[in-house]
Amino acid sequence: MPARSLRAHLLRMLLPPIAALLALGAIVAYYPSGEPTTEAYDQALVDIGIALGGHIRVAPDEYRFEVPPAVEQVLRTDRYDVIFYRVLSPSGQHIAGDTSLRPPSGDVTAYNSDVNGQKVRVVSVEAPCGRSSCTILVGETTIKRARAAREFLLTSMLPGILIALATLLIVWFGVKRGLWPLARLSDELKARSPRDLRPIDTAAAPEEMRPLVSALNGLLDEVALSARNQQRFLANAAHQLRTPLAGLQAHTELALAQPIPESCRAHLEQVHQATIRTARLANQLLALARAEPGGRGSSSEVNLRSVVEGEADAWVHQALARDVDLGFELDAAPVHGDALLLREALANLVHNAIEYSNGGGRVTVRTGQREGRSFAEVEDDGPGIAPQERERVLERFYRVPGTPGTGSGLGLAIVREIAGGHGALIELAEGAGARGCRVALTFPHG
Amino acid sequence: MRLLIVEDDAPLASGLSRILEAEGHAVDVTERGEDAVLAASQEHFDLVILDIGLPRMDGFEVLRRLRAAEKRIPVLVLTARDAVEDRVHGLDIGADDYMVKPFAMPELTARVRALLRRSQAHGGPRIVHGPLALDTVARRAFLRNEPLELAAREWAVLEVLLAKVEKIVSKEAIIQAVAGWGDDLSPNAIEVYVSRLRSKLEPAGIKIRTVRGFGYMLEEFKPALH
Repeated sequence: MPARSLRAHLLRMLLPPIAALLALGAIVAYYPSGEPTTEAYDQALVDIGIALGGHIRVAPDEYRFEVPPAVEQVLRTDRYDVIFYRVLSPSGQHIAGDTSLRPPSGDVTAYNSDVNGQKVRVVSVEAPCGRSSCTILVGETTIKRARAAREFLLTSMLPGILIALATLLIVWFGVKRGLWPLARLSDELKARSPRDLRPIDTAAAPEEMRPLVSALNGLLDEVALSARNQQRFLANAAHQLRTPLAGLQAHTELALAQPIPESCRAHLEQVHQATIRTARLANQLLALARAEPGGRGSSSEVNLRSVVEGEADAWVHQALARDVDLGFELDAAPVHGDALLLREALANLVHNAIEYSNGGGRVTVRTGQREGRSFAEVEDDGPGIAPQERERVLERFYRVPGTPGTGSGLGLAIVREIAGGHGALIELAEGAGARGCRVALTFPHG
Repeated sequence: MRLLIVEDDAPLASGLSRILEAEGHAVDVTERGEDAVLAASQEHFDLVILDIGLPRMDGFEVLRRLRAAEKRIPVLVLTARDAVEDRVHGLDIGADDYMVKPFAMPELTARVRALLRRSQAHGGPRIVHGPLALDTVARRAFLRNEPLELAAREWAVLEVLLAKVEKIVSKEAIIQAVAGWGDDLSPNAIEVYVSRLRSKLEPAGIKIRTVRGFGYMLEEFKPALH
């Protein structure tokens, strides 16, 4: 049976036995308790009988019962019940009282009977009548007795009911309190970055939770292993793709340096461009795969400024080839992350800016801190991105319609993936003077 | 110059050797790391172009053995692997430069030239850059064979830039290299020296490019076409 709620499950298991115990306790307490009460109330009736017995007069041939109305009034008065009596001669003849009170069927001194459909308790008392004895029956309705029994039952069951209520409360709050380590584990897992595949600390978990934690660790281990396998595959794929592409590029460039017919040259130029595009696409696909969760897990303190400084040389040469003025405004920007991926993200932003800048354009790379948060941004004075396109350009393979050039539409998707993995915010805006485009990555505090 | 290419991908190796031969170098090619170590121990090479992803003995091991034999040969590492790229990036493996496959041939030949120039100039008394020649022993400069007057700090700045042709040198790096004179130098002062150098060198076709917000780069000398 699937238990949706641990509380409900515990209560379902605990409540029936508690109820059964309560019922049993009530029965055990109630039945023996009835006797002393009944005896006490019976005794009161016997006392009335004895008092009435004093009013029997024995005449030579008859018995007479004379009781002053005031006395009868006192004897018959009760707070809760109606009291009946009947006086019978030694031979069982009715002498006085309520004829509706039936004599006992056997030789008993106290019995249950009924009067006009009402339950009554009757005692029979012997009273001296000359040489023999008369019988006086005294009965009363059972309201008082029932009431006493009810009260007794309630009092005897009260502790049981309190225990049941306490159990409910304990289950309700105890389950919450008991599951607190589980809630903490779930918080810890939620707070984790998707790249963090380190095992969970078993020592911190309570003993009962260790099997769960070890099972989770086993799973994390397998995920990490498959991530490592994926990395190995990617590394091999990269090698297998890039080396022949390098050869292809070398030979097309060699061929282009030869004196060849113009018609051939045009085709060869196409092959050369396609080779460069393919190489870039291969690099980007690999970068994208690496940036995905479960990719690389290496994380350390990285200064974005150093990342830019390390790549500035390569970028400046790219910019010079397209006659773009690439400049820098660099301040310290410490972040926590994967240096290789951050380098990839910034390289993509710079590549885009250079690619879409007009010849003679200006591209500026900035790093630093704003309001305590590290950032890196690249600004160009190219055609810019229309506001309605800004969300879509972050999608894979999307290119703004009518864009010149041979981009794959993957650059910004890679940037978004890497930014996401680092908890960084990506913002697309206009450049200075409402021209061009500015893409900023803002990293979380500390 | 004599170059050794260690690359197991035959098309790439042949492409590289053709391009470098066209630059006027004598090129030997081997596809096995073991052979490369052996060849380098027996013959003289001016530069080794070394692929990391070799079968059996990989490029790291070749490099380790070359360095263990105290060979000061410049080594340009080629890599296709990201993880390797990461390690080579810091050049903590003893390589002089690295390139990630695939690469443009002009960039490769430029890097090869730069490495060769650096190793030839290393400790050498004479630095030559196109029409410019510096005699570091006599501390005299010549431009188009004419004596060139350089102030001490101009000389120091030029020396730093000449050591890294086609590479950006940050203003901080220049300040550090020049500030051996005891007083503080501001980035503005460096700008002054660079602009003086420019006015002296540009007429001869030697260009110092400003990289905005970063530093300067002495461009490779390209003889003007007539």
